[in-house]
Amino acid sequence: MSQDRLVTRSSVLTVVGALAVFVLIWRAIVFIGGYPAFILPTPEAVFGRWLGAIGDGILWPHFITTLSEVALGFTVGATSGLVIGYVLARSALVERLASPYLVAAQAVPILAVAPLLALWFGPGLLSKVVICSLIVFFPVAISTMVGIRSVDPRLLELGRSLRATQRQVLTTLEIPAALPSILGGMRVGVTLAVVGAVVGEWAGAERGLGVLINLARGSLFDIPLMFAALLTLALMGIVLYLAVVLVERQLVGVR
Amino acid sequence: MSAVAGAGVAGTAGAGAAAGALALAGVAVTFPTREEGPLVALDGVDLAIGGGEVIALIGPNGCGKSTLLRVIAGLLTPAAGSASLDGAPITGPDARVGLVFQEPRLLPWRSSADNITYPLELDGWSRERRAARLAELVDLVRLDDSAVNARPSELSGGTRQRVALARALALSPEVLLLDEPFSALDAMTRERFDLELLRLWDNAETTIVMVTHSIPEAVLVADRVVVMSARPGRIAAEIAVDLPRPRTLALMDTLAATATMARIREHLEIAA
Repeated sequence: MSQDRLVTRSSVLTVVGALAVFVLIWRAIVFIGGYPAFILPTPEAVFGRWLGAIGDGILWPHFITTLSEVALGFTVGATSGLVIGYVLARSALVERLASPYLVAAQAVPILAVAPLLALWFGPGLLSKVVICSLIVFFPVAISTMVGIRSVDPRLLELGRSLRATQRQVLTTLEIPAALPSILGGMRVGVTLAVVGAVVGEWAGAERGLGVLINLARGSLFDIPLMFAALLTLALMGIVLYLAVVLVERQLVGVR
Repeated sequence: MSAVAGAGVAGTAGAGAAAGALALAGVAVTFPTREEGPLVALDGVDLAIGGGEVIALIGPNGCGKSTLLRVIAGLLTPAAGSASLDGAPITGPDARVGLVFQEPRLLPWRSSADNITYPLELDGWSRERRAARLAELVDLVRLDDSAVNARPSELSGGTRQRVALARALALSPEVLLLDEPFSALDAMTRERFDLELLRLWDNAETTIVMVTHSIPEAVLVADRVVVMSARPGRIAAEIAVDLPRPRTLALMDTLAATATMARIREHLEIAA
């Protein structure tokens, strides 16, 4: 990890520059290809629609719905991932018993299970939270397991020589040592949580950015609005990812 | 003063004299192996170490020096025989025993200060008491002020080992065990650290057991050099070092020192 702050003048310039290049290429593709707005709207049309959708309040309820699904799903998934990951790391028996099921659960595409979960847990918040937490659970559990196992056995011996209790070993050795790995899993998990929320909404929901995308594509036939919803999802993912990175900088710092 | 006391005990080497007396009787340690039968790391080790005595353990690779240290530290339970500290059997890690490993073994996410006070933290000391003890320890091992709040990755190998030494001394142990503590340092730095260790020993009446590969280091530091033989580890010879204290590097050029080194080398060659 670099010891720079997250936001420096040069990093801001890089990000703004890359964004400008992205928008220019987008603009050029529309210009050269001559695509109509219902195939690929121009970036300024999308941006304008996005501002409009924020202004007239269309976006807001969908945004709040998706964000709460992501936040709750991530919290539940990450917490259970931490606990199960620790148990897996500490008990070879549990790992042998549970890992086939965990891997199988991970191998079945969430897209295929989502309709079933929607059927079981209804079209409300619960089914999305379940889907989000399922998708977040795996990377966090695995990275926790790997992190806890990677604790230097020599440090554990040091702890033993200093008569550390089991609880002290956990809080002063295992958790700090596993933290970089755990937070790496959470970085992956938090972006997957956004995916999970949209998948859940597509399987059946009344509100949410995924629902808005469907509406914009279908009955409203407002393709710039669809892009505006996509833009919102992307921003949500970026901000959540950066939040995890920020926590990581705070907790892990320079090593 | 303590140097005199240490030397006095060295002659009799009886348990129960000054604090920090160690007694090993018939200690055997075996490790299970997958292919062959159990590996006998130590076999019938008898050793009496007086309180305040400085012992150097020397021997060929794999002779069980570190294993013996781990038995004294309470990290390994011998398969046979007994180990005791101040007359009471060693049943596990003990606050009266401080341990310095071959590598500094610092927690990389903690500053030097927090590494040094780690044993105190585990022992439940209050923040104020820890801060006070930290100041003493920093003085004691002469840790540079700039190093106190640095992370291990920012320190030199010598400074890291200085931090590890301070950590081992945090709970004022009666016995200080060192497992080739300065072997990763260059020869000059190592000599400097050896002399500093003796200065510490002069001020605190601790028993020191140091594992080393270096004959000159053993002679410079110890009252008595214990030579171990190759697997299964046994004690091959015990050689008293008859040099005055405080020890200096100049002493190493005296006839007495060179003769002692020659005797140790002779025993080591037989042992290997």
